[in-house]
Amino acid sequence: MTRHLFRALLPLAFLAGACAPAPPGGARLAATSEQYFGDVTPPHDDTFTYNNGTEPETFDPGLAVGQPDGRVARTIFEGLTVPDPQTLEPRPGQAYRWEMSADGLSYVFHLRPGLVWSNGSPLSARDFQWSWLRVLRPATAARYAGLLYAIENAEAYNKGTLADSNRVGVHAVDDSTLVVRLHAPTAYFLFLTQFYTYLPVPRWVVERYGDRWTRPEHIVSNGPFLLDFWRQQNRFEFVKNPRYWNAGAVRLDRIVAYSVEELNTSTNLYKAGVFDWNPSGYIPSQFIPYLRHYKDYRHGDYQGVYFYSINVTRKPFDNVWVRRALTYAVDREAIANDLLKGSREPWGNFTPTGYPGYDHPPGITYDPEKARECLRRAGYPDGSGFPRISILFNTSEDHRRIAEAIQAMWRDVLHIEVELSNQEWGSYLQATTALQYDVARRSWIGDYLDPNTFLGCLISGDGNNRTGWSNPRYDALLRQASVEVRPEKRMALLREAEALLLDESPIIPIYHYSTNELVKPYVRGLYRTALDTHPLTGVWIDRDWRRHEAPLAGTATERP
Amino acid sequence: MDLSPRPADPAPALGGGRPQSLWSDAWRRLRRNRAAAAAAMILITISLVSIAAPWLPRLADPTTQNLALGATPPTAAHWFGTDELGRDTLARVIHGGRISLLVGLIATIVSLIIGVSYGAISGYAGGKLDEFLMRVVDILYSLPYIFLVILLLVFFSRSLIMLFVALGLVQWLTMARIVRGQVLSIKHQNFVEAARALGAGDRAIIFRHIVPNTLGPVIVYTTLTVPAVILQEAFLSFLGLGVQPPNASWGTLVSDGARVLALFPWLVIFPGIALSLTLLCFNFLGDGLRDALDPQDRSDVA
Amino acid sequence: MDTVNFVTRRLLMMIPTLWVIATLTFFMMRLAPGGPFLAERDIPVAAKEQLMRKYGLDLPLGRQYLRFLGNTVRFDFGPSYKFPQRQVSEIIREAFPVSAELGAWALLLAILLGVPIGVIAALRQNTPVDYASMAAALIGVSVPNFVLGPVLVLGFSLTVFLFPPALWQGWQSRVLPVLTLSAAYIAYIARLTRAGMLEVLRQDFIRTAMAKGLPDRMVVFKHALKLGILPVVSFLGPAAARIVTGSIVIETIFAIPGLGRHLVNGAFNRDYTLVLGVVLFYAVFLMVLNLVVDVAYTRLDPRVELK
Repeated sequence: MTRHLFRALLPLAFLAGACAPAPPGGARLAATSEQYFGDVTPPHDDTFTYNNGTEPETFDPGLAVGQPDGRVARTIFEGLTVPDPQTLEPRPGQAYRWEMSADGLSYVFHLRPGLVWSNGSPLSARDFQWSWLRVLRPATAARYAGLLYAIENAEAYNKGTLADSNRVGVHAVDDSTLVVRLHAPTAYFLFLTQFYTYLPVPRWVVERYGDRWTRPEHIVSNGPFLLDFWRQQNRFEFVKNPRYWNAGAVRLDRIVAYSVEELNTSTNLYKAGVFDWNPSGYIPSQFIPYLRHYKDYRHGDYQGVYFYSINVTRKPFDNVWVRRALTYAVDREAIANDLLKGSREPWGNFTPTGYPGYDHPPGITYDPEKARECLRRAGYPDGSGFPRISILFNTSEDHRRIAEAIQAMWRDVLHIEVELSNQEWGSYLQATTALQYDVARRSWIGDYLDPNTFLGCLISGDGNNRTGWSNPRYDALLRQASVEVRPEKRMALLREAEALLLDESPIIPIYHYSTNELVKPYVRGLYRTALDTHPLTGVWIDRDWRRHEAPLAGTATERP
Repeated sequence: MDLSPRPADPAPALGGGRPQSLWSDAWRRLRRNRAAAAAAMILITISLVSIAAPWLPRLADPTTQNLALGATPPTAAHWFGTDELGRDTLARVIHGGRISLLVGLIATIVSLIIGVSYGAISGYAGGKLDEFLMRVVDILYSLPYIFLVILLLVFFSRSLIMLFVALGLVQWLTMARIVRGQVLSIKHQNFVEAARALGAGDRAIIFRHIVPNTLGPVIVYTTLTVPAVILQEAFLSFLGLGVQPPNASWGTLVSDGARVLALFPWLVIFPGIALSLTLLCFNFLGDGLRDALDPQDRSDVA
Repeated sequence: MDTVNFVTRRLLMMIPTLWVIATLTFFMMRLAPGGPFLAERDIPVAAKEQLMRKYGLDLPLGRQYLRFLGNTVRFDFGPSYKFPQRQVSEIIREAFPVSAELGAWALLLAILLGVPIGVIAALRQNTPVDYASMAAALIGVSVPNFVLGPVLVLGFSLTVFLFPPALWQGWQSRVLPVLTLSAAYIAYIARLTRAGMLEVLRQDFIRTAMAKGLPDRMVVFKHALKLGILPVVSFLGPAAARIVTGSIVIETIFAIPGLGRHLVNGAFNRDYTLVLGVVLFYAVFLMVLNLVVDVAYTRLDPRVELK
C-alpha cells in the first residue's frame, strides 16, 4: 500500500512543488544546524513568537486559572512584586519597597511614584485594594479567590459570611501605601503578590464593560506589554508599553503568542522556525528522547505531581490495606523511565521537590511482595474475591498509556481485574467531583513554593480533595502548621502530615512533572524555572547569537 | 423526494418474476469481474483472520506489555514491530480488525433495519404519508449529522452499543431512499397484485414480497456502507471518541500512529494498510456487485 | 410549481426542523454529565452559585428552555460560557469565514481536478488510464485525512521547507490543509463524473451524434458533459456537510481558527450556548445550501421539475 499511497500522492507532490516559488513567510529557510532542532534563523526584528497553548478562557487577572491564561495576564499586568526571571523570588514591581511586621502578620507596600495605567491615568494603592476586594467579592465568582485567604477576613468575605469589605485586611492608607493584614503568618505571602490573582485591574474599565473589559478595544493595563490584537484560537499580539515604569529595560517590540493546542503541531511549528519558544507541556512525550541531544532542548523539575486518587467512599477502597496494596504495586520507575522515556521522574511522594526548608518523608516505592502482603491482610489473598475495579481518566494519549500500564501491573502483581474508563473532560470532571469513580487519574501543580499548596488539597471536605478521604489528625496537623510562626516547626508539622497521607494512601503518587521546553538559541533572558513561570519583560532576541554561542552553551547567562 | 431523477435514485426494479436466473446471472458476472472477486477473497481472508484472532497459534496477546522494550521497528519476533508499551503491533492490528469490522457490520445492520423498514413503508403507503416521510428524509439529509453523533458520544456513555447506534443513524437515509424507490416501482407489478388478491395483509406484502425484491440495490449499498462506517469510526477515534482501551480499532491505531508518524512509522503503516485495504476491497466489491446485479445502473458510486 | 413557491415552502419547512434540532441539542446537553463550571481545580460553592445565577442556570429546566427558545428566535445566543468576554454570534462570525474558505477551496480543487479525471476515465473506459485513475480515486477515498495531513506535513514542511506546517496566515499556509481536505473529494467527484458520463455516453442519441463526425463532436460532448456532471451537482449539498466534518480534523491538525474546533471543544467543555449556536448555525447553513443546489440542479437539467 505504501507504494500505492506514494503513487497517489505523486500528483499532489507535483502540484505542491509547482505552486511554491518562494519560501513561506512564516517559516524561515535554511540555517538548520545539526545541534539544534530545526531552523535557527533569528527573526529580523525584535519580535518574539511562542506557543501559548490552549486558548485561555479569560485573561482577566482576577479570574484567570490556567497557565496559558496566567501567561497572558502577566505579560500585560504587573503586581506589587515581580518574580525574578531565574529564581522567581519576589523583586520590586509596582511596589519599590515593603516592610513586614515582626509577628509576620502585617505588610506595608510602598508604590513607586508616578505609576500610570496604559491610558495615562494614575495608578494608586486604591487600585490594588479595589482589585483584591473584587476577586474576593462573591459576585465576581473568582475561582482562585482562595489564594487571597491568607489575608485577614478574606475567606469570610468571599464566602458571604462577612458583608463589610472594610474588615478585610487590605487598605490603601494613601495613594502610594498599601497595608495588608494577614490572619496568620504566611511564609509565602510575598511570593503570592506577584501571582496573577493579585494583579491590579482598572476599575473604571471593568465597571463600564463588565465581562468584555479585557477585549483589545477596551483593555487598559499596567504591565510591560499591551494587548494589541487577539483572535480566538489563533493568536495574541502584544506591543511594548511606553508608559511602563521600566520601559527602558523592555527590549522586545512585539510578542506573538499563538494558541496551538495539538502538541505535534506546536512542535512542528517550532521546528519550522515559526515559534521561538515551545513551552513545557507542548512537546509529545515520545519526542523527548530524540530531542535530548539538541542544544535548544531544556529539561528540569516542575512543581507538579501526577497521581491516581482513590475513592475511599467505595468498597473495597475504604480498607486502607487495599489502598496500600494498590500503591505498592505501581512500578513508577518503569512508567517514568521506560514508558515516558525519562521525560518524567518517578515519584513516591505527594509534594514535589524544591520547597525551601522542606524535608520529604520517605516516598512509596515499588514492592510487589509487600503489595501482595497488603492485599492478603485486606482479606483478598492473591486477589481472590477482589471485585473488578476501574481506572478513570480523561481523553489523552499519555493518560491512556499510563492507565494501560498500571492496569497490567495490578493484573500481574495483585491478580486483580481492572478495566479502563476513558471519559472526555466534562464527564471526567463530573465523575471525580461527585466521587463517581474507583480510581482516577489526577494531577496537581503547585501555585507557590510551599508544601501547603499540595497538602491543603486533602483536608477533609476541600473541593480539591475528591477522594472522600477525611482524617482528623491530618486536618489538625495542617491547621497547626497554618498558624505556626517558626519555619522549622511548621515544616516538621507538614512533613508529619505528608507521612500520614502516604501511609493512609488515598492517593497513589506516580511521577514528578518535569519541564520540557524548546527555546531557540537566539532567545535570551528566558530561563527555566521551578514553577514554569516565565516573565517576558527581560527577554530579547540575539541576532548575533552564533558569536556568543560557545560561552552560552548549556545554561544561558545574561549578556548586556 | 423533491427531485427526480437524483443520483441516489434507485435503478429500475429488478424483475420480480424470475429471481432464480437473475441471481445466477449476477453470480456469473461477479465471478468474471476479477477485481471484485479478488476483493471478496481478501475480505474473506481478513474477516477469517480477525474472527480467529484469539485462537491463532503463536499470535501474541495484544495486551501483553513490555515497557522496557518500548517501540521497536519490525523484527523477526514482532513482524509489525511493537508500540510504546511494547505490545505486538501484529496482534493489535489483527484484534483491531475484529472491532473495526464489528463496528462496520453492526452499524450497517442498524442502518439497514431502519432504512429498509422506513423506505418500504413510505414507498408502499404512497400518497401523503410517503410525501411526509420523504420530506423528513430530505430535511435530515441536510443536517450536520456528525455533530449530533459527536454530541451523542460526548454526552452519553461511550459503549460499543452507543457507537453502533450513533453510526447507524447517520447511514440509514440513503438506504431509505433507495428502498422506497424500488418499492414504488415494484408495488404495482403482477406478483404483488396477485398476493393482494389472495388476501395477504400489508405487512406480509411489504416484508414477504416487496422487500426481498429490493435486495439487489440494498446489497450493493450495504457493501458501500460498511467502509463508510469504518471510516467514520476512525474519525471518531481521532477525536478520542472511539472504542474504549485497551481495545483498539484500526481507527484508534491509525490515529495514534499518525501522531508519531515521524518517529515510529510502523505504527501507522501497518494498521493503515489494514484499514485502507479493507475499505478498498469493500469499494471494489461494491462496484462489482453493482455491475453484476444491475448492469444498467451506474449512477450511484458511493 | 414555480421556483419562488418551491423556495418559500422549503424555507418555511426549515422552521419546524430547526425547532426539533434546537430542542434535541438543548436537552441532550442538559442530560449530559458535568456542567460548564466544573474545573480541575475546584470552584468555591459560592462562586459556582453566582455563575449559575448569572447565566440563569438556576432556573427550572423548563423555564431555561423557553428562555433559550425566545433568545434563539431573536438570534441571540448570549455569551459563551467558557469565553465570557465573547458573544456566541461573534465567535461564529469570526470563525465561520475561515471554515468556509477552507471548505470552498477544497471543494473547488476537488471539482477542478475530479471532473476532468472522471471525464477522461469515461472517455477511455476500460483502458489502463481508466483503471489507474479509478484505482487512485479509490485509494483517495480509503486513506483517512488525519493520516494524509501528517504525511503531507512531514513531506512538504518538515523534510523540505515548502509550506508552513500549520496556521492560517498567507496563501502558503492554505496549501497543505486544502490539499488534505480535498483529497477524498477529488476521488469521489472523479468517480461520480465517470459514472455520470458513462451513462450519458451510452444513450443512443449521443452515440449517433458522436458517430457523425468531428464538427458536431464538440457540441455533443459539451451537451453530454452538462448531463454527465449532474450527479456531481447534486453531490455538492451533501459534500458541503461532509466537508464540515472533515474540516474538524483539518482545523485540529493545522491549528486553523475555524468553527469546527469550536463545536468539538464546546461539547467537551459543556459550553451550552456555544454548542447550541454552532449547531443551529450549521443546520441553517446546510439547509440553505441544499436548497441552492436543488434549484441549480433544475437549471442544468430541464427534465427535472421542482415539486
